[in-house]
Amino acid sequence: MAKPLNSMVVAVLAFSVYIVFSGSVSTYDLLTGVIVATTTGVLFSSITLQNPWKTLSPRRWYYTLRYAARYFTIDETKAHLDVIKRILHPKAPVNPAIVKVPFGVESDYAKTAIACSITNTPGTVVVEIDEVEKVFYVHWIDAKTLDPVKAREEISLVFEKYSKKIFD
Amino acid sequence: MLDLFILIIRYISLALITLGGFASVVAAIGFYRFKNFYLRLHPLTINTIWGCVFPLTGISLLTIILEELGAYKWFMAGASFITALIVLMLAPAGSHAIARGVHKSRTARVKPCIADLLDKDLCG
Repeated sequence: MAKPLNSMVVAVLAFSVYIVFSGSVSTYDLLTGVIVATTTGVLFSSITLQNPWKTLSPRRWYYTLRYAARYFTIDETKAHLDVIKRILHPKAPVNPAIVKVPFGVESDYAKTAIACSITNTPGTVVVEIDEVEKVFYVHWIDAKTLDPVKAREEISLVFEKYSKKIFD
Repeated sequence: MLDLFILIIRYISLALITLGGFASVVAAIGFYRFKNFYLRLHPLTINTIWGCVFPLTGISLLTIILEELGAYKWFMAGASFITALIVLMLAPAGSHAIARGVHKSRTARVKPCIADLLDKDLCG
């Protein structure tokens, strides 16, 4: 039962992307959309989904929207303004280091979401991930601390909190 | 009421597009001013989010309220929105790949450097 449901969830996501991208609900687009989405769902569901019920949880979608709203307004604005200030400052002040940032999530999607969130905020870029030690190595433009626990609080604690609720 | 809503959407989308132009210029300046490879990845992110994702979202909103575009407005809005999402997901993947490759191959040093906890020899 899980396999067809997996395919269906991936197909519905692919179909939504197809229709939004084409911007049309004509018979031709709906039909080609169904064909492409079904093929995508059947071919890729085994490598993209393990537990389809997570995708159907309204609670997880609610946290996704909350995370997006917070991320694009508060976190991104703070990080952008900080790096823009450094770029436009006459001395271009930087204090860079590659620090360890531990994480406590389990699923690959959650790890990817945290890594992408860190990299998408200017001032921090993930250079390497150690899955055994469960740490990211992050290049930080203004390394306030080298202590992994404090670095996690400064860089990724918020992202981790939401990623855990959405993906784990 | 609808007119006011359209006006607000228009100004928000124009603000996002203008922000994109500003961010792209600042990112270009940053790319020039920062001399180290790893430092240059940070202005690159400014160009990705404020310089690309935000203005694409602005274009998406603007085209929805532009009646002059006719049936094409939904295509432009949808394509811009999906492109913004794809950039949002793929750009950091590219940055990770480049940063990891350069660090592993020891092509560039971390300079200036407070510490490099991944490979101490590459610090400074």
